[in-house]
Amino acid sequence: MNNIEIKLKDLVKDLFAGEKIDVLIGYENGSLPLRSRPCFVHSAGEVDRLVWNSYCTNNLAVYLPRIFQRQEHKKEETPPPRVGIIAKGCDARSVVGLLKENQVIKENIIVIGMPCSGMIDPAKVEAALDGAGPYSCQGEVDGSLEVTTSSGEKKRLKREEVTAEACLECSHPLAEGADLQIEGEPKEACDERYEKIREFEAKSTEERWQSFVKEISKCIRCYACRQACPNCYCKICFVDQTKPRWIGASDELSNVMIYHIGRIFHQAGRCVECDACVHACPMDIDLRLFTQKLVKDVKELFDYVPGLSVEELPPLWTFKQDDSQSFITEP
Amino acid sequence: MNKTVDNWEPKIVAFLCNWCSYAGADLAGVSRLQYPPNLRVIRVPCSGRINPLYIVKALQQGVDGVLVSGCHPGDCHYISGNLVARRKFALLKNFLAYLGIEPERVQFSWVSASEGSRFAALIEKVVDEVKELGPAKKLVKKGL
Amino acid sequence: MHKKAMVIGGGIAGIQAALDLGEMGVETYLVEKGPSVGGRMAQLDKTFPTNDCAMCILSPKLVEVGSHPYVTIVSNAEVLSLEGSPCNFRVKVLKKPRYVDEDKCTGCGICMSKCPIKIPDPYNKGLSQTKCIRIPFPQAVPAIPIMDKETCRYHLTGKCRVCEKFCEVKAIDFEQKEQVLELEVGSVILACGSQEFNASLKNEYGYKLFPNVVTSIEFERILSASGPTSGHVVRPSDGKEPKRIAILQCVGSRETQAGNEHCSAICCMQAAKDAIITQEHLPEVQTAIFYMDVRAYGKGFDRFVDMAKEQHKTRFICGRIASVESNPHTDTLLIQYITQEGIINREEFDLLVLSVGLEPSESSMDAARRLVVFMDTRGFLETNTFRPVNTTRPGVFSCGSISGPKDIPESVMEASGAASAAAALLGELQSKEIRFEYPQELDIRGIPPRVGVFICRCGINIASTVDVPQVVEYVSRLPGVKHAQELLFACAQDSQKIIKAAIEEKGLNRIVVSACTPRTHEPMFQKTLKESGVNPYLFEFANIREQCSWVHQKEPEKATEKAKDLTRNSIVKVVFAEPLYKETLDVKKEALIIGGGLAGMTAALDLAEQNFQVHLVEKEKELGGNLRHVHTTLKGEESAPILKALDEEVNKNPRIKLYMNARIREISGYIGNFKTVLDPPLSEIEHGVVIIASGGEEYQPKEYLYGEDDRVVTQRELEDMLNGSDKSKLSSLATVVMIQCVGSRDDERTYCSRVCCSNAIKNAIKLKELNPRPAVYVLFRDIRTYGLKESFYRSAREKGIIFIRYDKEEKPDVHKNSNGLAVDVRDKILNKTLAINPDLLVLSAGIIPNPENKLLSQFLKVPLDPDGFFLEAHVKLRPVDFATDGVFVCGLAHYPKDIGETIAQARAAAGRAATVLSKDTIEAEGKVSYIREERCNGCGACVEVCVYNAIELDTEKRIATINEALCKGCGACAATCLASAIDLKGFRNEQILEALEAI
Repeated sequence: MNNIEIKLKDLVKDLFAGEKIDVLIGYENGSLPLRSRPCFVHSAGEVDRLVWNSYCTNNLAVYLPRIFQRQEHKKEETPPPRVGIIAKGCDARSVVGLLKENQVIKENIIVIGMPCSGMIDPAKVEAALDGAGPYSCQGEVDGSLEVTTSSGEKKRLKREEVTAEACLECSHPLAEGADLQIEGEPKEACDERYEKIREFEAKSTEERWQSFVKEISKCIRCYACRQACPNCYCKICFVDQTKPRWIGASDELSNVMIYHIGRIFHQAGRCVECDACVHACPMDIDLRLFTQKLVKDVKELFDYVPGLSVEELPPLWTFKQDDSQSFITEP
Repeated sequence: MNKTVDNWEPKIVAFLCNWCSYAGADLAGVSRLQYPPNLRVIRVPCSGRINPLYIVKALQQGVDGVLVSGCHPGDCHYISGNLVARRKFALLKNFLAYLGIEPERVQFSWVSASEGSRFAALIEKVVDEVKELGPAKKLVKKGL
Repeated sequence: MHKKAMVIGGGIAGIQAALDLGEMGVETYLVEKGPSVGGRMAQLDKTFPTNDCAMCILSPKLVEVGSHPYVTIVSNAEVLSLEGSPCNFRVKVLKKPRYVDEDKCTGCGICMSKCPIKIPDPYNKGLSQTKCIRIPFPQAVPAIPIMDKETCRYHLTGKCRVCEKFCEVKAIDFEQKEQVLELEVGSVILACGSQEFNASLKNEYGYKLFPNVVTSIEFERILSASGPTSGHVVRPSDGKEPKRIAILQCVGSRETQAGNEHCSAICCMQAAKDAIITQEHLPEVQTAIFYMDVRAYGKGFDRFVDMAKEQHKTRFICGRIASVESNPHTDTLLIQYITQEGIINREEFDLLVLSVGLEPSESSMDAARRLVVFMDTRGFLETNTFRPVNTTRPGVFSCGSISGPKDIPESVMEASGAASAAAALLGELQSKEIRFEYPQELDIRGIPPRVGVFICRCGINIASTVDVPQVVEYVSRLPGVKHAQELLFACAQDSQKIIKAAIEEKGLNRIVVSACTPRTHEPMFQKTLKESGVNPYLFEFANIREQCSWVHQKEPEKATEKAKDLTRNSIVKVVFAEPLYKETLDVKKEALIIGGGLAGMTAALDLAEQNFQVHLVEKEKELGGNLRHVHTTLKGEESAPILKALDEEVNKNPRIKLYMNARIREISGYIGNFKTVLDPPLSEIEHGVVIIASGGEEYQPKEYLYGEDDRVVTQRELEDMLNGSDKSKLSSLATVVMIQCVGSRDDERTYCSRVCCSNAIKNAIKLKELNPRPAVYVLFRDIRTYGLKESFYRSAREKGIIFIRYDKEEKPDVHKNSNGLAVDVRDKILNKTLAINPDLLVLSAGIIPNPENKLLSQFLKVPLDPDGFFLEAHVKLRPVDFATDGVFVCGLAHYPKDIGETIAQARAAAGRAATVLSKDTIEAEGKVSYIREERCNGCGACVEVCVYNAIELDTEKRIATINEALCKGCGACAATCLASAIDLKGFRNEQILEALEAI
């Protein structure tokens, strides 16, 4: 058990002991190697389930809107729960976004900031092992990941090579503004970003279209991306609405495209680049290639970075007199 | 929809705000300014009313171009509807282009109630540019 | 008789006055001498300081006044006489022939297109041509042509009658005669405006001699997209784009040789605006403005001038043009000018724009004479500072530039103020009953759509290009269509009968008309539907004239296809339409007025006179506010008796409840239904409107030894001395220095306080009158005695008061030395530093906003401008309103202003408030937003984007709710809602998507 995990557990136990929270959202060991999974802890006695390691990839903020949803159907009103949440930089920024959008009750949430050093991407590990099959993981030694392949061979993989894309490019590894902070050494913030986006922008229209077609053609409309995204909390997603029906029900390519365009556009000014959608996708669609474009444009056009301040209005809820309008057609 | 190249004429949907751009189009008419007949106007109260999905849906329906026009900044009948919209439009325009939709297919402009000639010139330009591109194929629903 | 009024003059002031009166339930005649209303504003390109398109903001007003049930426009007419007394006037109006029958004409314009005679177009100041029979400009109201008898070929030669031949409704009437109407009204408002100075009288500038010398109003037309050059900025001589433009200020203003003594009040800003817009058209253009003083005295004006200088490369040159020569080969102008330093320069320009001033027009002076109201020696209506909208004749009021040059917002304020005054006079009279009996509305629930489609031929306007029978044939086969036919003129009276009969015979429950523009004709067809028992929102318009036949004249086949598509689209939209009903809201007929200064008291009395209960809240222990420190006006009127009378009137008026020493604790609610908690008495009052009259304060100088030396005082303190017991002290003075712009126009407060120049001049003259001996110096940056105030500047100079200009960068230096107080200032004309030893230094301290504005703005959810004053809904046309209905502003809370302007604005606020309070219920728009709760996440995006504060969020339930009475139907909320939980009635997502599918 690492130092941070001990500190975390002590802190959570204190929170339960002091009756500060009713439930804590955190991670526990998953059934597969290199994966931790979200868990809900309801009492001090359960705290030892919690883990903190390099596989805590999920964005836990996804659970908050539902937790705080008023239970209209229940006869007796129960007061909303007091929730603790373990937060990497990205989770914490999602919480800020949700606070702005009134999906979280400010008085009822305690954000526990973790010193995130970046999460391991299991897909990258698999790729690095060259399809050598099932494996187990012995943990990290000297900045490398030690894994055993199915053939029993031990391999060391460089940490950077198996760190998730989102973490490599993470601009806010520290959960700034968290209510409580677990001390530790977070990863350094990355300033050099959007290289892939710029490369893509530089391609020809036709090449870009072909890439888009290629990626979206993989989609099976399972909506896992939507389920994993903390911002996709709509009671009825536009894709499921009738009267009017925004998108035809078939998986005809244009329908699928409009689903993704619509969903990603709905993230404009809200996406914190956690890649929850990317990790959730069973078809390995490179959604980051598209979500990040909007993040970049929002920053460049409106000088706005999501999830940093509860007070600042989301960029599409407001405007400035001198917003850029270079896109306007002049006859 | 006739998509044979020989006598193909593009179909362009224009979302015009009621107070400025629609009035500008009216003025073009009153002034008998001639422009190509490829436009199909949908009148909306304000450019702020336009859900970005309308534009995407229009492309899916097979239109060859979409034009959105509202009041110039400062002229909005609803004070700032066009300015709220401007942010959405800026992002959408970039995003669709990024995905590989030809930028000329989706255009945004401002036309005031006194700019009949600007309106006519705008239509001329948009129609020309869309003609240059040829019939829309991307994002178009199959079987149209 | 019932409430009736007459407004004479259909410019923006007259239009606003008529609309306000109409909204207050007063039946109003709007008499206009020209063929259509709109006035000078209709000729402007943009408006300063926001550069709004003038026509964009004016044309909705034109449509509104043209269709208002209480307003009757009498165009091409003038008033002959006014007899009787207030509440019982008889007016004779001469209606001149226009040779077109107004009842028959449909405004189709065919006569104009066929008329063979071209004449210079007055709308474009003769820079382009129009026809002898013409609709004055495209947006004209009424949109009825007028024939110019002097140039008409038939009238001249007895041959032609082309217009008559083509007019299918037989509206041309060559025999039309003058007609005298006798009308009875209770009150009259004069709003005849002014005219531009005739630049030919200043022949040294070469107007009419050289082709490239134009007036500012001509230049305005050149800039306008609807002007003679379609907005291409070119010089008249060769149609080339000018590279160097000179604009000369004060042509016919501020000089008495050939022009007028007064300042025209608007030209400085107009010049700055034209410079900015020109540079936007031609990025390389270099504009120089030659001025005497930059009179940027209004809200946001100084910032606007700075913008012209810094971002639009405009040179402001303080100096006069001495002579203008034109190169006969190139038509380029060689201009010789003298700078304030006395240097003579020669410079070449491609175009010279003369900023012509405003002066009383012959027609407004005629009107004044016929109505027997007094004019001053210049020909402007005579008004008293304390009664800015009253004329010398009881029952006759005035607004706009007939009483002195002024810009649009001032004219609009006076208009609303005059309307309020006119309505107050008619206080007890009953409103005209306008009650339309409509049949029981058809219940269409469960009934499939039965669409009737009517395609208009518009004479030959549509039918000559679009194959109308083919369109009819095509649409009659579309699903849901049960009836399709063509009409010669869909808007004609007998067409309405045809539509009604078809509804009845075929059981139609939805109607589509394919004709002209819905912007002008939709209400008329909606009325026809109502009269047939069909909900007026089960109607769609297809525009196949302005947006089809007229713009595709050479492509009839494609135009026909387009007409089919447009009509089909409208059919789809109407099939998915739903009947809509307007929400109504009860109005609590009481007003809350915040602030008991001059503005608050004036507004309170106006409303009380109109029988509304008023709650007047004052934070101090006595009424009067800043007026307690203003002893006399610039004109010399004493304010103490006025204040005393106001105080008494307010105190004894049974309909005004006073709350002294009181503050606002809380305000909630919305138009018609506000609730406010006051402290004391810590009780809640209910009211329908709020007027903010919270005033402003004098800046307390931190500079120029103020507070450190007794010899340094503010203008206000000097005025107290001049009117108090220590007058004698003043008589012994030898030298007095006044410094202008103290706390104004600097980096901290960029705005001009507007009144300080006049105040300084007022006090300086008074000092001189008390004792002519002392030397009085006024150190200024620009003397801003705008409008008629200019004459006092002149008289101050005549009295020997010395004016010395200083720069912002070189402020006067004040210190103490052995001789006492010392003021060093650099005189640019003499090019040396003057050292003055005054025994009194007077600082013209500016006006700063009330620090409590911030709190009030939060209570009422209305915005402040960057300087801390309240920001009105629109700086030109809605100067006392906010986007939030039911809240109004006046006085110093809005911006620094003088007594007369404060009173006019207070009366305007009262007038605007009365348009709300005079109604028992307020009717909302039909096409408003609505929430689908099952989808709403309660994120609050809609609340933020709604400028009307029409949406509230229940944060606990996480559901937004819309107050339909406040919703204006813009749809910004609906487009912003990611969950599509908000939709806009009449423009529902479903309707738009179905329409897209039909394309």
